[in-house]
Amino acid sequence: MKNIDYAKLFPDYGTLLVLLLLCIGFSAVTLEEQSPTTANAAKRLAKRMANELAPGSNVIVLTRQGGDGASFAAALKENLAKVGLTVAQTVVGQPADARKALVKQGETENVLAGIATDKHMANFCNANLTKISETHPSLAKAKVYQPQSYHWPNFLKKDNVLNIMKQISVVAIIAIGMTMIIITAGIDLSVGSLIAFSGVITALAIRGLGGDDPALGHLWLGSLAGVLICGLVGLFTGGLVTLFGIPAFIATLGIMFSARGLAFIFAESEPIVVQNEAFGWLGRGRDILGLPNSVILMLILFAIAHVLMTRTSIGRYIYAVGGNPEAARLSGVPVKWVLVFVYTLTGLLAGLGGVMEASLHVTGDPKAGNLVELQVIAAVVVGGTSLAGGQGKILGTLIGVIIIGVIRNGMNLTGVEAHMQSVVYGAVILIAVLVDRLKAKGIRLRKH
Amino acid sequence: MAVLSLALVGGSAFAENETTTKKGTIAYTPLTLSNPFFKIIGDHITAEAAKNGYDTLMLDPDMDVKKQSDQFDDFISSGVTAIILVPCDRLSIGPAVKAANAEGIPVFTVDAKCAAEGVEIVGHVGTDNFQGGELAGQAMIKALGESGGKVLVLDFKKAHSCVLRVAGFKKVIEAHNAGRTTGKIEIVAELNGNGARTEGYQSTADALQAHDDLDAVFAINDPSALGAYTAIEEAKRQDQIKIIGFDGQLDGKQAIKDGKIFADPIQHPDKMGRQIVQNIMKYLAGEEYEKDALIPATLYDKATADNDPDLK
Repeated sequence: MKNIDYAKLFPDYGTLLVLLLLCIGFSAVTLEEQSPTTANAAKRLAKRMANELAPGSNVIVLTRQGGDGASFAAALKENLAKVGLTVAQTVVGQPADARKALVKQGETENVLAGIATDKHMANFCNANLTKISETHPSLAKAKVYQPQSYHWPNFLKKDNVLNIMKQISVVAIIAIGMTMIIITAGIDLSVGSLIAFSGVITALAIRGLGGDDPALGHLWLGSLAGVLICGLVGLFTGGLVTLFGIPAFIATLGIMFSARGLAFIFAESEPIVVQNEAFGWLGRGRDILGLPNSVILMLILFAIAHVLMTRTSIGRYIYAVGGNPEAARLSGVPVKWVLVFVYTLTGLLAGLGGVMEASLHVTGDPKAGNLVELQVIAAVVVGGTSLAGGQGKILGTLIGVIIIGVIRNGMNLTGVEAHMQSVVYGAVILIAVLVDRLKAKGIRLRKH
Repeated sequence: MAVLSLALVGGSAFAENETTTKKGTIAYTPLTLSNPFFKIIGDHITAEAAKNGYDTLMLDPDMDVKKQSDQFDDFISSGVTAIILVPCDRLSIGPAVKAANAEGIPVFTVDAKCAAEGVEIVGHVGTDNFQGGELAGQAMIKALGESGGKVLVLDFKKAHSCVLRVAGFKKVIEAHNAGRTTGKIEIVAELNGNGARTEGYQSTADALQAHDDLDAVFAINDPSALGAYTAIEEAKRQDQIKIIGFDGQLDGKQAIKDGKIFADPIQHPDKMGRQIVQNIMKYLAGEEYEKDALIPATLYDKATADNDPDLK
């Protein structure tokens, strides 16, 4: 029988397995009744009503405003007319509008046979129709119809999966740089503060360039300013670490406090609103196939970083510096330049993260990014990168970030209490480090 | 892929058209649940919602508007019936509220309002903070008596509610001072107490250095009032300096009973929690309700504390 090295499989697929188990678990506990609002559901509902009601009977359509409400109502109206029922009214609105519509219908004294609704308006009708028909008897015989429901986990709804990816995008993008830094056996504590710093600089630059009515070009220039200034801060950090030999932990701790303070000073302690909604494009927009722009950007950057780390000499240098800096230096690796590169890159990425964060809220907020550095480091470690340096994978980090995002989202969907969420985060990080240690010890399990 | 297919199998195993008794879920995201005030509101929301057949989903954004925005996305994913919000930031939460608006999920605010442009908030329940500030002013006049004195105000300008409290307080003090030559009440400093013990302590300690004849402190909430007490006690001046707080949290009430704080205008988070759910029920039934409901504050002093069964 062939021997399989399970120890080797484990680090490669261990985190993926954890992610899989989490997804299965959260899917199971968020399984809920879902009510479709597609054109097909409208067609089926109209058919069902045609079967049960006499041809030509009076019906009305009620749906909730927002989401698919308007399109569902239009589809219902069209299909009901097609199957030969008389649609007296079509109302898309809030419960108060539905009440008004029913009362208005009741006053006509034409007997109402059915009400076609979505889930929300069905709840409204079931709760209130009896009461209303006491004063308006022509409604008394009306039957409420809603689409047939099915079961599907809220966790696995397409919108929720995109929602998770969107929420992790800032942490994920910064984690690319952090992975490289940690592979060189360094650390960067300043990234959370740089998010705020970049957001504030961006918002101020936009205001400075475009006043109260900034144009699209001003938004781009302002964002570029935010990213580049954070890149300069990263370059400065790299200088402190290489030229003066200050430990990265201390150097970036200093930057962390200073950048946060400067963000508050520049912003005069108040969030700065960007006076052009178009600024929300990066953080909130969905332009290609309904995917959030921030997610597309994240995926592109991960693809580039993966190639950089696995196929180029700079990638090999980064691993070499982390594995053994002395050996790397002797074999001709420009160790100092590699370090300056990773800190500058991380500064740029943190700046980009700051712009994305500001874009999400259309506001540059000096409070933004609080403690995000710890989330980023946690994600990198959970993704299998060793704090001792020399080992780690960009794609592992992506999985690490997703794990953190999935846990957060899953616990929110199920309403886990905040302090318990903290406990779970801590436990996940500890387990990840434990896996890291086991890997280092090289525990080998063999099949007989 | 495997996750998807597994879940697919699991999902389709359930029969279609199964009816549940639960009517829906009401979501609640306050400023922070570490502050008991918002926890009490939440507990009464939960109780009142359960009475009406609704579940509650209560999350803690821990004063972080980014977390609160993410929670809105999570609420939309879980398809909640309504969202009750205490904004972590009255402007930056705007895009998240708009996202809920676009899905047709009604958003209500409690305690603090959302000031972002273009958002639809269908109802608000809050404390009448200006009236509460007036009560604080009256209590201050009572505490200082005919001789008047010098007062430190510990404010928190970032919260609109706290700005209103100070405005109400000043209105009463100014009316008291009008036409007097002696016994005036003079506000000698307005410092930021940040609504927290740490800053309340620091600012008061600094003010005591600058004004060694301080007679009283008005703090816009209990944590900053208790921070002020620590500083005053350290300076051994607790017998001379009177403190008026605000809120009526449990430790604030206890401090009133122990004579550390003179009095608090108190809010009624229990009533606020119940009222907001009742308004949501009316909204869902398409009935009329008060869109901007203010619940008056009442004064809580030593006499009230001595009769309070909740205190030791």
